[in-house]
Amino acid sequence: MTAPGEQEPESAQLVRPYVITNGRGLPENDQFNLITLVTASEERPPSHLDPEKRGLLELCSGGYLSVAEIAGHMGLPIGIVKVLLSDLSSDGYLVTRAPAPPAQLVDVSLLQEVLDGLQARFG
Amino acid sequence: MTQYLQDPALWALIAGTPLAATAIIRGRRARANLRQEKAELEKRSADLENNYAEAVQEAHTRAEEATKSALKSAMRTLQGLANEQQLAISKTQDKYGEHQLLQDLLEIDHMNSQFGRRAQSIAVLCDGWLGRQRAVASVYDVVRSAKGRIRHYTRVEIRSQSNFALVSRAVEPVALALAELLDNATSYSAPDSPIDITIRTVPKGVCVIIDDAGVGMNEEEKNRADKLLSATHATGVTGLGNPPQFGFAVIGVLAARYGFTVSVDSASPYGGVRAVVLLPEDLLTNMPEPEEQPTTHAPAAAEQPEPIGSTMTSSTVSGSTAGGLPKRRRKGAISIVPRTDATAAARTSEETASIMGAFQRGTQSGRSAANPNREGHDPQ
Repeated sequence: MTAPGEQEPESAQLVRPYVITNGRGLPENDQFNLITLVTASEERPPSHLDPEKRGLLELCSGGYLSVAEIAGHMGLPIGIVKVLLSDLSSDGYLVTRAPAPPAQLVDVSLLQEVLDGLQARFG
Repeated sequence: MTQYLQDPALWALIAGTPLAATAIIRGRRARANLRQEKAELEKRSADLENNYAEAVQEAHTRAEEATKSALKSAMRTLQGLANEQQLAISKTQDKYGEHQLLQDLLEIDHMNSQFGRRAQSIAVLCDGWLGRQRAVASVYDVVRSAKGRIRHYTRVEIRSQSNFALVSRAVEPVALALAELLDNATSYSAPDSPIDITIRTVPKGVCVIIDDAGVGMNEEEKNRADKLLSATHATGVTGLGNPPQFGFAVIGVLAARYGFTVSVDSASPYGGVRAVVLLPEDLLTNMPEPEEQPTTHAPAAAEQPEPIGSTMTSSTVSGSTAGGLPKRRRKGAISIVPRTDATAAARTSEETASIMGAFQRGTQSGRSAANPNREGHDPQ
């Protein structure tokens, strides 16, 4: 607790996340995960877009960004960002791109061979 | 004559006269005394009455003051707790951003906001602490913040945006007043009817217009509302009625203290109440500039194309996030996947060779310097 007359050291956001999504539930589909890449489409967004959506489009206008990065830059929980993204992409202002395929299926022996090769070459 | 002298009645008369005179005089004196006493008594009773009225007034004032100070400190504790809780909820929301748990956290956040608002309202009536000092915020954001502090916020639709912002000292009071108006609007209208908010720029400032589709107010209610909103005298906590109605009293106090006006005397196009909040020019300011502009970056960095992946060098550190991480602004794109091959083509063969050479030297020096036992998978 702070003493009287003293301001709170920290204050939470003025506009709470549930207001930004207007109380809608988080999207059920798995269209977006942390490493889905999105970028702004060529379509011009309308001027009356919410400040968060406008900021998001501006953020993505330079190239592909991952969902996790967007959440980090906007300072919003990832679930909230996903709601905004799914709105924007269903309205056609965003283009998504599947993430680079995960590398876990690569054969371990192949990796070992590459390592041995590198060691033989440089080691 | 003698027969008269022998008449006992004469003697009785003679004897009776002084007696009667005495009695009369006594009577007069007694009456005068009584009159005097009565006057004294009247005076004393008037004094008593005055004293009594004064005492009652004093007791009333003292009780009001005592109630106010008790409530004020109690509310301050609650407000502080609500703020702390809000911060804790925010952190948890960021932490569990991808879980389904977020949905529940959002609901808790909503309840906490309502709780905080109630405590704030009572604090306002007790001349207490309004809470957080906010940064300059757009009128649209202040309206949205107000919207988030009431129960049925999803019924509220904000139809327009504004290019104006509120100065920092007015952000919280205006948000609280709007929240009280919205609370009234949602409470006195059908559960599924919408509440419309329009933000309009007028010559005297900015108007926030709240229209509900309720039943409206009768003359008596309108008079009461006008009296409370004009706030010529504060009602205090004891004059709120039973059950207490906080809304208009809180709005009246805030409007008087911060210099905006609120009127509820017109009808909305939907038949309910139209509440108009007029924010005067001295509470308004221009929209805050975005935190950083892309043009502020060093021109040297802009000339040379950056190798892919070296996004850290192409950004300037400006401020830090709420979590303490440095906030970086990209020069152009921090694209993981470049859109064009421009960056790749820009690299000359000498550069490529030097990069490869550096890589090789690095791995070699790393190998020779590394402790073989440091990494478990080290084959050496």
